[in-house]
Amino acid sequence: MTAADATATGTTTTIVTRVRERARSAPGAVAMRHKDLGVWREITWAGYWDRAELVAHALLALGVEPGDRVAVHSENRPEWLYADLGTVAVRGVTVGLYPTDPAAEVAYLLADSGARILIAEDQEQADKALEVLDRCPDLRHVVYVEPRGIRGRYADPRLMGWPELLALGAGHRAEHPGAVAQRMAGAGPGDVMTLIYTSGTTGPPKGVMLTVGNVEFAVETLVTGGGFTWPPPSERDLLLSYLPLCHVAERAFTVWFNAASGAQVNFAESIDTVQANLREVQPTILFGVPRIWEKTLAQIDIRRASATPVKRAVTGFWLRVADRLGDTLARTGGRHTPATRLAYAAGWVCCYRALRERFGLRHVRYAASGAAPVAPAVLKFFMGIGVPMHELYGMSENTAIATANRPGRVRLGTVGEPHPGVELRIDEATGEILTRHPGTFAGYWGRPEATAAVLDPDGWLRTGDVGELVDGTHLRITDRLKDVIITAGGKNVAPSEIENALKASPYVKEAVVVGDRRPYLVALVGIEPDTVGEWARRRGIPYTTYRDLSQRPETRELVQGVVDAVNARLARAEQVKRFAFLPKELDHEDGELTATQKVRRAAVVKLFEDLVEGMYGR
Amino acid sequence: MTDPRSWTIPNVPDIPTGRFRRVRGRPLLRTSYAQDMALLDTPAERLGTAVLVALALALPVVLADRSLEVLSGAYALAIGAIGLNIVTGYAGQVSLGHAFFVAVGAYTAAALSAPPGGRTLGFGLAEIWIWLPAAGLAAAAAGVLVAPLATRLRGLYLAVVTLGLVFLGEHVFKEWKALTGGPGVGREAAVPRLLGYPLDRDGPLGTREQVLYLLMLALLVLFAVAARNLARSRVGRAFAAIRDRDIAAAVIGVPLTRYKVLAFGVSSFYAGCAGGLLSTVSGYVEPGSFSLLMSVQFIAMVLIGGVATVSGSIAGALFICLLQPLTRTLPALVPLVSADTTRTPNVFQVETVLYGLLIVLFLVFEPRGLAGLWIRVRAYWKSWPFSY
Repeated sequence: MTAADATATGTTTTIVTRVRERARSAPGAVAMRHKDLGVWREITWAGYWDRAELVAHALLALGVEPGDRVAVHSENRPEWLYADLGTVAVRGVTVGLYPTDPAAEVAYLLADSGARILIAEDQEQADKALEVLDRCPDLRHVVYVEPRGIRGRYADPRLMGWPELLALGAGHRAEHPGAVAQRMAGAGPGDVMTLIYTSGTTGPPKGVMLTVGNVEFAVETLVTGGGFTWPPPSERDLLLSYLPLCHVAERAFTVWFNAASGAQVNFAESIDTVQANLREVQPTILFGVPRIWEKTLAQIDIRRASATPVKRAVTGFWLRVADRLGDTLARTGGRHTPATRLAYAAGWVCCYRALRERFGLRHVRYAASGAAPVAPAVLKFFMGIGVPMHELYGMSENTAIATANRPGRVRLGTVGEPHPGVELRIDEATGEILTRHPGTFAGYWGRPEATAAVLDPDGWLRTGDVGELVDGTHLRITDRLKDVIITAGGKNVAPSEIENALKASPYVKEAVVVGDRRPYLVALVGIEPDTVGEWARRRGIPYTTYRDLSQRPETRELVQGVVDAVNARLARAEQVKRFAFLPKELDHEDGELTATQKVRRAAVVKLFEDLVEGMYGR
Repeated sequence: MTDPRSWTIPNVPDIPTGRFRRVRGRPLLRTSYAQDMALLDTPAERLGTAVLVALALALPVVLADRSLEVLSGAYALAIGAIGLNIVTGYAGQVSLGHAFFVAVGAYTAAALSAPPGGRTLGFGLAEIWIWLPAAGLAAAAAGVLVAPLATRLRGLYLAVVTLGLVFLGEHVFKEWKALTGGPGVGREAAVPRLLGYPLDRDGPLGTREQVLYLLMLALLVLFAVAARNLARSRVGRAFAAIRDRDIAAAVIGVPLTRYKVLAFGVSSFYAGCAGGLLSTVSGYVEPGSFSLLMSVQFIAMVLIGGVATVSGSIAGALFICLLQPLTRTLPALVPLVSADTTRTPNVFQVETVLYGLLIVLFLVFEPRGLAGLWIRVRAYWKSWPFSY
């Protein structure tokens, strides 16, 4: 075993030693696949380790010392993992940048982290870095992976191609064969191995320092302990890597799951091809953010509406059955009863098998939603069609380890039970959730005062989320502490619940509920252009742009229906009295969304102040 | 780097790659181009093909010799139909001269296999592995001679020129009595003999019809697989490019002359082999049978079966051939139709009307033919539970 080996040789187990161990025990097994020129190329464990070791040697040759930061600015691809492992092997610190980050954000992150080396995917990302080089004094080298547009055109001495980096590594390996192993041997559980920048819904992003010990605790809990999936992930599992790797959740599912359990990682070509790639890969374990699940639900709706009458009727019937199945499963915690099993078997033959196949969910044995709150109705739908759906809760600051719905013990509307070894309590005064376990982060990079604000001296982490325990076991999260609305009438309202109920409709993409110190609640609503466009097309409603479509009276009627349906389930004070359409799609580059597509509430409300004020009749 | 587009740096060893394994239950997760191009790429397809072949192999035990003879003829015709589909369906060159190439094959085979010194020309080479390829090659040579016309002509003009070929051939075969025996008389067809063992008479392997049936089935499978292979190769893609627009194909670097000659050559090879086999089944060759009607029959097979599909060609040939015995049973069922040729309406008239009607109906309602029907049914269930 890996852990036993490591203790025998006195080396601390890290994800790097785990990959090295796999390269020794199963060199020819598939570690990952990436699609190139139409074919999924396989990379074996031996190949993975070879490349990671070369990168590590190259970093040594470039003079990376323990604790130095190496930034990676790329979409998900094997080179991301080589760079990550190479960096951790030489006891450096990996800093991930979102591929969508604009140049200003790149400047901030590079300067704040003090990265010495940047690994940029292509010309687009290299350009962003070159634009802001003068603001990043620590940056010595920019390594680009894709040469197109850079090679032979750019003359900056700090630029270096990926093959040159590997050649450098190969040269160094030939001269100092044991150098990387030697550096790895010095690693300790207290080493910081990665900085994960918070999304920064309020204020600038902060770098969360995760140590080798933090990540090992997470790996032990999730993989060896089967914290999410049961049975635990293994070499037979397939994963699709498509969410940004700089986010703690995708890093856990891609890099850590892969290294610790041997699960095969498949890289999606891009975020736009996820649907097609899912269909090809048919993963067994699938993690998605709510937006992904909401979008899949909307897609099913569009496809069904445009099918032939017979297919529409049959699918409609089985989806109604699925709805009832979902109800039952939600009641039983995800365990089938003989009656639901029978109904599901019939539906599997007639509809669910094909439906799941189309969306790449055919072989999913464990699906999870996390990283943002989601409407229970969305999860219930997927449970109904036979996708075992689980909501998780965790954050960068606790290495994504807090609570999870366990298979067979699912409770919709909650984020599940604390993992074994996780202490969790609710602050009596504020209702804030606190966690304590060995995965709690080492602090914010270069911000001791911010660290002190969330980390008690006795090790409790203030999550910033308000919640309560349901039946003493399952945790229900109300909202972010900072987002709770207190209306002029003195009622406490959690906007995210209302927003998610609205977003569960296939026609609503964004909803921002406003009403702090106001007489009643109003909402800014962004329509989902795909579904509403399709709906308008079927009705013969002409439109030109997104803005034009949102301003059609028919669209207003449609969304009014959604709002009314949500209001009917809410108490009077929580009802949305008025709503206005956002005149544009919210965007990361315009600063309205974070890189993880979360709404920057304050920025949006300020930007569309006139709309908000209009709804209050001023 | 494994990527051929980027430059290489010699001292970086190549990354060890996997062994291109298929992943269970995921037919779309292709890890090599071989999987991407596989003829039978899903378990369902493999199973379906296996069942079809097993069924075809079981037929000689079940069916009467008379039905087997019809089927053997259908298989031989199917080889010819595949040939026409290569030039007309895949490469888009209309050819009405298919009967001519079939005749060339039939006479080459007959002359080679007949004993020397008889009433008609004979060389005494009865081994099938000699006369069958020779029949194909002789027809292919004729095809290659005709092909240069196709590089200069398109569409209707090409159709008319190939039509001329049929008349030219008909005249020559009627007059060259030493080879063909003359109109109305004909000559003995090629005798299939495999390593000294005659395949055209009752023997330990079964009756004449059973042996011939199995021979035709084996050859059909061979030719069909070869055609599918051709269609998915570089040559097949070039054919498709020429069919879709020859000027565009030339612009993207497809040498038109070479591929048009190749298409005619391969197509005629198939036709020649079909000719040799067809005459073997019936036992004699008559020069009048290689008329325009035969060309039209082949075109009907391709159109009813499905343009540019191998399975469609086979389906079309079977359909046309099985129509005949079916219409022959009509007089027993429908009192109005007579089996007597002197009365009207008789079965032969009904048959002719049916041909025409079927071609019209298929062209109007399902231009992709029987294969198109199948594709439509498959797409309906494949896209379940949606419409696309």
